[in-house]
Amino acid sequence: MMDDMLEIPIIARGRLIMPSEGDCVDYAGRGGAGFRQADPHKHVHDIVLGDTSKLRDLHDTPMAEIIDLLSALGDRLKLDDNELLQQSFELALKAGGLEEPILRGVYDALPHMFERAAMIAMVDKTIGIDYIDGWVASAGRFESARIRAVGTRQLHITAGNVPVVAAMTVARAGLTKSDLLIKSPSNDPLTANAIARTLIELSPDHPVTKHIAVAYWKGGDEFMDSQVIRTSRIDKITAWGGMSSVKHIQKFLTPGIDLTALNPKYSMSMIGRETFASEAAMDEAAVGLATIVGFYNQTACANTRIVYVESGTDESEIDRVIELGRKMVRAFDLIPPLLSTPVTLRNRELESEMEAVALDDDFYYVEGDTLNGGFVVSKFNDRVDFYDKLSNRVVNFVPVDSLIDVVKWCDDTTQTVGIYPEERRDELIDAFALAGVQRLVPLSGGDPMTVYAGMHHMPPGSPHDGIEPMRRSVRWVIDMRPADSQAAQSIAAE
Amino acid sequence: MSISLLPDNPGSWTYRRFEDLYAIPREEREKLQLEAVRINFARMRDKVPALKKLADRQGVDHIDKIEDVLPVCFDHRVLKNYPLSIIENRDFPKLTQWLDKLTAHDLSRIDLTGLTTIESWLERLEAFGMLVTYSSGTTGKLSFVPRSYDELGPWKFHFYSVNRACSGVDHWQEKLPTFSPMYRGGYQTMMKMMSLFNVEMAGGEDHYHTMYDSHIPADLMALSGRLQAAEDKGEVASLGLDPALLIQRQQMMEQGRRREADMEQWFGKLIRDFKGQKVKIGGTFSDLYRVAKAGLEKGMVCEFDPGSVLLGGGGMKGYKDAPADWEDQIKSFFGVGKLGNQYGFSECIGNAPLCDAGFFHFLPYTVPLLMDGEGRALPREGVQKGRLVLVDPIPTSYWGGFTSGDEVEMHWDENCDCGWGGPRASKTIRRFAENEGGDDKITCAGSQAAYNEFMEFVQGVG
Repeated sequence: MMDDMLEIPIIARGRLIMPSEGDCVDYAGRGGAGFRQADPHKHVHDIVLGDTSKLRDLHDTPMAEIIDLLSALGDRLKLDDNELLQQSFELALKAGGLEEPILRGVYDALPHMFERAAMIAMVDKTIGIDYIDGWVASAGRFESARIRAVGTRQLHITAGNVPVVAAMTVARAGLTKSDLLIKSPSNDPLTANAIARTLIELSPDHPVTKHIAVAYWKGGDEFMDSQVIRTSRIDKITAWGGMSSVKHIQKFLTPGIDLTALNPKYSMSMIGRETFASEAAMDEAAVGLATIVGFYNQTACANTRIVYVESGTDESEIDRVIELGRKMVRAFDLIPPLLSTPVTLRNRELESEMEAVALDDDFYYVEGDTLNGGFVVSKFNDRVDFYDKLSNRVVNFVPVDSLIDVVKWCDDTTQTVGIYPEERRDELIDAFALAGVQRLVPLSGGDPMTVYAGMHHMPPGSPHDGIEPMRRSVRWVIDMRPADSQAAQSIAAE
Repeated sequence: MSISLLPDNPGSWTYRRFEDLYAIPREEREKLQLEAVRINFARMRDKVPALKKLADRQGVDHIDKIEDVLPVCFDHRVLKNYPLSIIENRDFPKLTQWLDKLTAHDLSRIDLTGLTTIESWLERLEAFGMLVTYSSGTTGKLSFVPRSYDELGPWKFHFYSVNRACSGVDHWQEKLPTFSPMYRGGYQTMMKMMSLFNVEMAGGEDHYHTMYDSHIPADLMALSGRLQAAEDKGEVASLGLDPALLIQRQQMMEQGRRREADMEQWFGKLIRDFKGQKVKIGGTFSDLYRVAKAGLEKGMVCEFDPGSVLLGGGGMKGYKDAPADWEDQIKSFFGVGKLGNQYGFSECIGNAPLCDAGFFHFLPYTVPLLMDGEGRALPREGVQKGRLVLVDPIPTSYWGGFTSGDEVEMHWDENCDCGWGGPRASKTIRRFAENEGGDDKITCAGSQAAYNEFMEFVQGVG
């Protein structure tokens, strides 16, 4: 090629298809992070698996061997010595909207997705290694019925705001012995690509390698969607990002294709009135808030955007909420730069919203900006209209009479809820679980790394957004053999 | 100078013929505009509390050059920055207190006793001398334009003038039977303009034909999102709304579902009844296209007098996958030579009419400026694309500087083929925010999903 447009391959089951004369498409990408790829329209058959019998190689590979491979892959995903990842890092930096130290931290975390002990625990907890490696007879008089978890053909429409999603997806597909097609997001077109290429370098002929395809095509490319999303080619779809990824494929969904929609999520925190009893408690809550708001610079779904505070709305009470907000903003400085930094690009849209409400001091108090973080305090019991635009470490503090009132703002889109102080948790957990909330995390600890560790200290194989994705992504097959006649009769008699 | 205009009374400029206004040489006009904006800002700065707050914060005390006005223009959101709970609770003292910050009138003098609906609140304001209208955006939240009867004269003169620019018909002289496939009455900005101006232009109520003889109450528009949510949870009763309002909501939703068929039937009758007569047709282009398409498919065309005029608006919003020749289809079905069109915001009086060359030309009493994504003024020369700011120096009871959410391409050189002067905007206008996102960026964090079924029903989109 004549120009310096970044060329990326379509990954087709162990093969790289580079763009060539007459077979290339330029994509504008995001933030000037354009790239060139071979025309996906010409390679549909290279990326889908129409023949299920071809899953046999993966099916017959023992899980221990797969884990060996993925673990070795993890060892190679170190930013410092993996050129492919470095390229992906550069592009994500241009496109994705994360500041460099944070993005570096995210890439440094990639190998952790492939830690041996964690992978074993994940398979065993959500599927059972026996079940994925072979047929497991049922207990007692049902021993003639055997069950096995069988791999499927999966399409993953991944999220690009946090690149670990690509690593997680590769790991999960391998651990379920499934055929994987990743449709890359335009805000992270290269991470999945880099991981798959590293795998090809590591072990080009391994069945896991032979069952990974990665390509980018534009959201809403009807030709691609209609070719790929067919019951003859795909069994399971995992779509991140809710409507924006689902709306395009909606019309191709038919019974027989199982869709797991990982919808966009909002997250929030709740601060009990005990917080205002002492300066020390306010400081601890402020650090907790700064951490849950600030990590990854508030680009993730688990970041708090609204803080419900148990407080009245008198001037003196609102003043204390403002004080808590100020302490939170000051505490942003305590967070290490690999988790949170001032941002370099203003969010004009959000600032316009903040400026508009700032003109009305009967209802709102506004402080800070979209570079260094800030907050809007509602002086009444409701969130701002633009709550879904809150980003760049800007939150909305909303006074409520009682924390239990917050349930009315919770539903299936409420992912992570931070709580302070801990003593309030037990009275709230069941009501919030029923309302749709997926995770209640602590804000206590007093320093950002403790708080961050506290909210991320989850065992491998924990539920994700209210479901167990790996358990859901295999096919559970029953092999019923003739039962011995006595057992059969006793069942029939029941 | 061809005509003499006073900078301290830009309202009176609207009495002039638009041809004469467009003919003012650029240098002369810009001098006059700067002077008018300077005087208006000086008058309003401390009279409108929200403007005072903004100007204090920005440290702007006077306007020396036209770009000085940018930091003190209201973001369009300012007209709806009240908490939604005020509307939900129908807390009229608080709503009035909020509006009071946007007007030079003292609204604390209004007696608010006995008010139960937003409609009745708007009527009470009108009885006091206000002329507050509302518009509702995609989120359903109402923006209130804090206009008053002080601005009625210029508003009306401008409206007659821009209608003549779009259609060639001088409604001071000639009344035309008018068809509008819409509702009637109420305080939605377009509807209020219909009552104030269009009916008179048609020659009276009997000559103004609307598809429905009532309107959607502001209360239903304002609460549509909330009502839908309450309905899903089975909590409608707890909102404490007047049962009559809920019945009306049901009727409106049914009406919305039947709308396309109703429109065809209603137009069908007018087309027969007014055959051979000179008429005026109004409506959104998407509605007019629906009618045209249905008619053409049946092999029908209208046979009005060839001098009939059509004035549309709203682009093709609400019509998916319109064919490239939709304008020609409308023209050939209705039998009109051109589609009259204008562009502006309800916050500003001076809408810009579309010329024969396909540009919206601003009249001197509307001062357009462009900003880049960082809020910096773009040069007023050549062709520039940016976020549009309009400064309206006419109002004497509210501040007329507004930053829109529209991305506009402005042509500053006055060399349009149509012969009109003034700065002009290209026909394609889009939301500024659309530029900032992409079409398939996927993230796991919640994005704007505000979605309003009721509006969709009513607009016939759903």
